[in-house]
Amino acid sequence: MDEISYIGEHLWLGQLGHFLVVLAFVSSLFAAWSFYQSQKDDSWAKLAKFGYHIHGISIITVFGLILYAMFNHYYEYDYVYRTVADESLTHYLLAAFWADQEGSFLLWMFWHVILGWIFMQKDGRWVAPTMVTLILIQAFLISMLLGIYLPFGDDFKIGSNPFILVRDVYDAPIFSNADYLGLIEGRGLNPLLQNYWMTIHPPVIFLGFASTSIPFCMSIASLSTREHLPILKPLLKWTLFNAFILGLGILMGGAWAYEALTFGGYWAWDPVENTSLVPWLLLMAGIHTNLIAISTRYSIKTTYVYYMLAFFTLLYSTFLTRSGILGDTSVHAFTTMGLETQLVMFILFFIGLGLFKYLSGRSSIPRIQKEESIQSREFWMFVGALILFFSGFLMTASTSLPVYNKIVELFNPNHIPLAIDDPMHHHNKYQIWIGVFIGLLTGLAILLRYHGANWAQYSRKYLKHTGITLGISLVLTILISQAIRIIGWQQYFFLLAGLFAIIANLDYLVVFVKGNMKTAGAAFSHMGFGVLILGIMISGLNNRTITSSFFEQSDFAEGDAADKAVILIKDEPRYSSGYWMHYKDDTLVHNLRKYEIEFTKVDSNNVPLRQFTTRPNVIYSNDFTKIEAPNPGNHRTLLYDVFTAAGPPPHMWDIANVKALEDSLKYLSHLVETGETFEESKYLATVGTPIFNYDFGEEDHGDTTQYDLTLGIPLDVVIKRTGEQMRVVPGLGLKNALVFQFPVVINELGIKIKIPEAAFSEIFTEEDKLKYEDIRLRQDEFIVWNDYKIQLKGFDRSGNYRNYTPREGDIALAAELEITTPDGMVISQNPLFILRNAQQFSIKDYSPESSLHIRFSNIDPNSETMTFRVARDDRSQEAIELLIAEDVPRSDILIVEANIFPGINLVWLGCLMMLGGIVMSLISRRMSAKNGIS
Amino acid sequence: MNLTFYMKRTHLAAILILGLGIVFLVFASNDFSTFASFESAQKSGKRVKIAGQLSLSDPILYDPEKDPNFFSFFMVDEKGNKRKVVINEPKRRDFERSEQIVVTGKMNDKNEFEATEMLLKCPSKYKEEELALRKQAAAM
Repeated sequence: MDEISYIGEHLWLGQLGHFLVVLAFVSSLFAAWSFYQSQKDDSWAKLAKFGYHIHGISIITVFGLILYAMFNHYYEYDYVYRTVADESLTHYLLAAFWADQEGSFLLWMFWHVILGWIFMQKDGRWVAPTMVTLILIQAFLISMLLGIYLPFGDDFKIGSNPFILVRDVYDAPIFSNADYLGLIEGRGLNPLLQNYWMTIHPPVIFLGFASTSIPFCMSIASLSTREHLPILKPLLKWTLFNAFILGLGILMGGAWAYEALTFGGYWAWDPVENTSLVPWLLLMAGIHTNLIAISTRYSIKTTYVYYMLAFFTLLYSTFLTRSGILGDTSVHAFTTMGLETQLVMFILFFIGLGLFKYLSGRSSIPRIQKEESIQSREFWMFVGALILFFSGFLMTASTSLPVYNKIVELFNPNHIPLAIDDPMHHHNKYQIWIGVFIGLLTGLAILLRYHGANWAQYSRKYLKHTGITLGISLVLTILISQAIRIIGWQQYFFLLAGLFAIIANLDYLVVFVKGNMKTAGAAFSHMGFGVLILGIMISGLNNRTITSSFFEQSDFAEGDAADKAVILIKDEPRYSSGYWMHYKDDTLVHNLRKYEIEFTKVDSNNVPLRQFTTRPNVIYSNDFTKIEAPNPGNHRTLLYDVFTAAGPPPHMWDIANVKALEDSLKYLSHLVETGETFEESKYLATVGTPIFNYDFGEEDHGDTTQYDLTLGIPLDVVIKRTGEQMRVVPGLGLKNALVFQFPVVINELGIKIKIPEAAFSEIFTEEDKLKYEDIRLRQDEFIVWNDYKIQLKGFDRSGNYRNYTPREGDIALAAELEITTPDGMVISQNPLFILRNAQQFSIKDYSPESSLHIRFSNIDPNSETMTFRVARDDRSQEAIELLIAEDVPRSDILIVEANIFPGINLVWLGCLMMLGGIVMSLISRRMSAKNGIS
Repeated sequence: MNLTFYMKRTHLAAILILGLGIVFLVFASNDFSTFASFESAQKSGKRVKIAGQLSLSDPILYDPEKDPNFFSFFMVDEKGNKRKVVINEPKRRDFERSEQIVVTGKMNDKNEFEATEMLLKCPSKYKEEELALRKQAAAM
């Protein structure tokens, strides 16, 4: 193809962007090398920082350039084309930015840059070697955006350039048009991601990801410098920050899942959820051994191992989400980028680096020959950390099944992929015991002392406190288990462990800590874990459906899988499980249709106790051809949440279904006359006089006053069963020579009425069949024409005329004609005269009452004489054809499912307490470091 | 306490827990399975998981006005056998577009498969989409 010079492209942006990506890559290698050299030769330090600044500024500028291109809808760039559409809302711009691979890689790198800038300011021999590893990670990440093709064929490329042009990605005939940009529009953000959580969840989770690099890099650094003790405290502080942010990100993901996406769950054991939790568990394990190391010098090696594993599992999680290996099993899976090999190299490089550094540096780690005593806190903390590791190990193993399948397939192409039958059940079954052990250990270990100091005297106090705590927990377990539903014996242990964790740590806070923030943080977090256990038990086992339609049960109902949804008809309240539910309204806002459902809780005598409204919605695809997803509406209270998901019946789900339904309807023709009443089995209908230019209202058909002509046939319908009377107006509209039908559905009767398109010509005489005659009138004059008296009363110069849209330079004038018909009726008609660009137009006025078509055809300014063209409609045919279909599915119904989640706030409270405890520890450690207290 | 262990207690704990982990995984592998067929489900009468494709030429019944929690369709399993599947839940969106269906349940005496759980695999929405030439279409 010849080179085409395309119109309207902004190629400078992509060229600059791609240059900066390459610069960021080169400067990262330069900075890494310089930081490495600066350990031996201080003169490199300045160069290293300079290189890092170049790198950082390049990354941030690339970030800004893409945002700029998105903001300005530069659809020539594939990334913009994929994520933005014309009508995209600006507040989803950031969400759209990190919705895809390249943007989220950039977000990750952005945080690395920021963290590196902060880290670089610190002193200590471990700073330079930490930076080396951090920048190497960054170099691998930026290489994902390089977009360099190696000369071995299409499959060998390094990175995918975020500035690639849309015409280089797709091979479509449209690109032979130099002005293709005027013709295309972006696809826009996936509607499922058009959610405020999408704006805040990714930045937090990616800051969590980026900060997980720091403990890894610091561990590598201390193994390289062979100085282990000075790094332990800063290592702990960075990891506390890291664990807080990553935990917050995961929690936000849970809250998002709870609020939208899935129906009423905060954790689905989705592979990606699991693999983001595993690094967090390993960080927590590492934090515990790090604490041991600070207090006792034990477990330094183990600490490094946990921090390294946290980073490896994080990379593994990245691989799972970005390689496409999960396929459709996860909501988090990105579309593939073709960088699987590069991702594997990324992971293998750092596993190799970690292993090498560990093996070569482990001999320098201080060792204590004496063993931890079994009465010491450190021993049980170590065991607790081990259990956290074990939890992560199990989760990773189960989640890796797709990877296992892929590997086996390499050797055995006939391998039938294995899958977990029921992931929820599977993970819950094993992880419940992790919860039990951790819950018990948090209570047992925190009261112990490091080194088991003074055990001889302390043992009595310890046993007394632990014994009493256990006693109270047992009693409470029995009491609570009476109040809530428990479905397995394991759950009694789970409940006991949760209560034990709460009470023991509360005891520790009140009796032992006495204001020491450092350990208070730990106890607070542990209590949070106990509260989380309670929350999981109560919300998970005791949620119930209030929309069970027990009287409609089909014959094979089995367990709780049966009957979760009910049908609500608009404005017909319905009772179910103690609630009246009333579907009141639906409104369309942007691409969301919001339903309003009012719940009234009543007692057994039907006395209203309380009332609330939930607003579930469905989200349409960007082109409005189908419903993409339902979003539940949630009514929140302190003790329970009421969750509602609602959606229209299937025949309204997408355009294909709507069409299929319309095609399946059998319309019967009814020939009726004005004034006639006809009777069907369910109703009586009286036909009114056709109304021309009827305003059908905006709701269903847009602004019908903008049509060239509309016709409404009013029908007064009486429903026999109820005696209810109603007026419906089916009709037609004419716009730009196209006829549109405005059918009506009477849901109570299950009928749909429409007017055949041919009715226009039947009811209306076509223009060329009319015999116009000219009449001339001056103001206030009248003329008698074919027994009609036509008088020109005056003019309307207001500019607001029916069927008229003013244009600049128009001169428009409406005549006010008073017509007296041969049978004495007086009617007003207002034909319109328009002078536009020195050309004369007229807009005709037709009145069915007078049967006159009148055009205002000329103005003679000299004699002030107006010329009108008048024609009489001679139609005698008064029959109107109605098409009526029966057994039409209702369009005013909702399929509604409502669940009550008790105690869900305990889940959030527990998680927030865990994170809050981490923050408390972090703050107190920062303060004591500043005050020089150890 | 003066125990004469050859190894440190922490190491012992680590080995114990890892051992336990392997035992767990062996048990856990019971939760992993491949898929059954309608025939084998008929024979065993047990609760099984069957993967297959929706048969579009047979009726897909869902009438929410009658019962929003009853839905039936015909499915062809991986061995090519076709059976009616009934499930007590509302019809899912994009059901007709599903590439694969995985149902869990058992056969009843009416030779229908009573499913209690259903997983749908749908084609990714944004992968194969062509250029959106809506503007062009509107201009023509």
